[in-house]
Amino acid sequence: MKERTITRVATDVLILGGGSAGIWAARQAKLEHPELDVLIVDKAAQDWGGLMSLSGGDLEVTMPGEDPGEWVQDLVYYWDGLCDQLMMREIWEDSHNVFSTYQDLGLEFFDLPEGGYRSVPQRNLPHIRLYPYKYKGTGGAAMRDALVGEMNQLGVRRMGRIFITEFLKRDSRVCGAFGFNLVTGEAYEFQCACVVNASGSPSYKPTYNNNTCTGESILAAFRAGASLRNFEFLNIWNVPRQFAWEGQTILMPLGAKFVNRFGTPVMEPYSPVLGSNTDPHYLTRAMALEISQGRGPITLDMSAIREEDRILIRPQTGSQLLHYNKLMEEGIQFFTDPLEWIPQIQMVIGAIDADVQGRTGVDGLFAAGRCRSLDPGVYMGGFALTTTAVTGRKAGAAAAEYACGSDRPEPDRDPALQAAQVMDRIGREGSSAHDVLRQIQTLMAPYDVTILKTREGLERAQKGLDTLAAEVLPRLGSESPHYLAKALEVEAIAEISRLYVTASLFRTDSRAGHYRQDYPDRYEDWLCWVILHNEDGQAVPHRQPVPVEQYPYPVTGYYRDNFTF
Amino acid sequence: MIQSIDSSACVGCGACVERCPLDTLRLREGKAVIAHGDDCMTCYLCEMACPTGAIFVHPFKEPFPTVFPPFLMLDQKGEAQ
Repeated sequence: MKERTITRVATDVLILGGGSAGIWAARQAKLEHPELDVLIVDKAAQDWGGLMSLSGGDLEVTMPGEDPGEWVQDLVYYWDGLCDQLMMREIWEDSHNVFSTYQDLGLEFFDLPEGGYRSVPQRNLPHIRLYPYKYKGTGGAAMRDALVGEMNQLGVRRMGRIFITEFLKRDSRVCGAFGFNLVTGEAYEFQCACVVNASGSPSYKPTYNNNTCTGESILAAFRAGASLRNFEFLNIWNVPRQFAWEGQTILMPLGAKFVNRFGTPVMEPYSPVLGSNTDPHYLTRAMALEISQGRGPITLDMSAIREEDRILIRPQTGSQLLHYNKLMEEGIQFFTDPLEWIPQIQMVIGAIDADVQGRTGVDGLFAAGRCRSLDPGVYMGGFALTTTAVTGRKAGAAAAEYACGSDRPEPDRDPALQAAQVMDRIGREGSSAHDVLRQIQTLMAPYDVTILKTREGLERAQKGLDTLAAEVLPRLGSESPHYLAKALEVEAIAEISRLYVTASLFRTDSRAGHYRQDYPDRYEDWLCWVILHNEDGQAVPHRQPVPVEQYPYPVTGYYRDNFTF
Repeated sequence: MIQSIDSSACVGCGACVERCPLDTLRLREGKAVIAHGDDCMTCYLCEMACPTGAIFVHPFKEPFPTVFPPFLMLDQKGEAQ
């Protein structure tokens, strides 16, 4: 083992990830216990604000006077029963606090001259609505700026470019983390009372902006003893073939329709009830079927969007306006040209199993935001900005409470020294992480692995991932700290993909974001979450029945029954 | 993806380097350079931060691998069609 200088950093609450969940966690921890030291580490730039900063800034909010229970019932139906009703009720009840805090911080939502706010119903659901930020293009950046101001005021410490590889424990309690600066190569051992993991959903670095989160800290939590949930669900988006477009969830409720090469709306045959105004996970199934039957390419017809609604979709400021103008310079009129759209895998929805306060079952380890499991792979506009903020607030409060009066135990030395050995890889020549990522994307992208799954497709992907793990990953290069980080990201994406395949093969029914061609029906005995337990280092899938008898609402309707597939 | 940095226009302020989420850019000999271009996610944060307009990010990104066949359609009994 090489002699290595390791910088030790002590804090009370260590937070991984400086996006919406991490910042809200830090803010709440400091508001409730100003005496605590709170530190956010992020592998990207300090204070960049995570994927929140690239978002439109739209929120889902249960407004005063509305019944959060009705919003929960929407989700019970929309998620085909896989809804933790008590947790989602708490989240919706807190959603207006987030909305009003943002307003107090100076953010403006789209208000109406007659009072109240403009809202857009989501996915043909009776209650859930999205509240758009007033100026399309900079909502997420404005949220980031406001929250960074808050952190400055509250004295939250932050460090950027820190890549965390492992959580450190004293006996069974998480009390630290090992990481390194991916620019300088400086090694760090963080010592703390507790950790909040707020590191986002593991992505495939697709053409959409989800390129930063890659799941390594979810896997570190798993190695530390946390269980994982919902790994059979992927986030699959319909995207323009050539470029990214932020804010498409608002297009369909306003009248946009996908059409095939004959100009026929794609969704009508598959769902006469909902048509195009549904979730991308159903839209992409229809797109895949249309393309496979020779009726592609698929284009998006936005001609039916009313003139008065166009202010909600046309970028007005910021990077989105810059992007829109650049597309025009390339000769692309986004709203009127018949541009090809394709299904594309974005990220794995599977994440850490945690309660509403973010407690993971591992002493000292909390989880918030998208790296803690909530939804079964069908999405709504504004959902993540709301839920990351609320779960961040709750985990921050719980972690601060835990840290109060607690010590900062010294982590067990042998595992800590073992974690530091990752630094020995720096300088090693080998395969490019970029090329290996392309191999993983190629294995995972076929329709029968992701959109219209089959045992054959999943087993093919599993075999490919096994070969990759045995023959390709050990040869990954890590010539510099930057490339060590890239290699670790790709290793994590490969492992996350294996967990996805394991859970997808295990669930032999179809509901919410998971569709098996060989098990296309839903079965009552599958009203269960798939939990991956760490059993001697192996991820072993188990069924955990949804405890409907303990919940206020029975499961009486299924969103998936609106579709022919 | 990031396409170019005009080194004659770059004043070496480092604003782009500081903001890039993916460590795509570095400052070398007083100028910003594209150090890890493959990592760019087309977020435009660098271009917007540049005080002299020296950076150009193209709106297209490297395409994702094809998602077309191998693809197998099964009927309700699980038989290949």
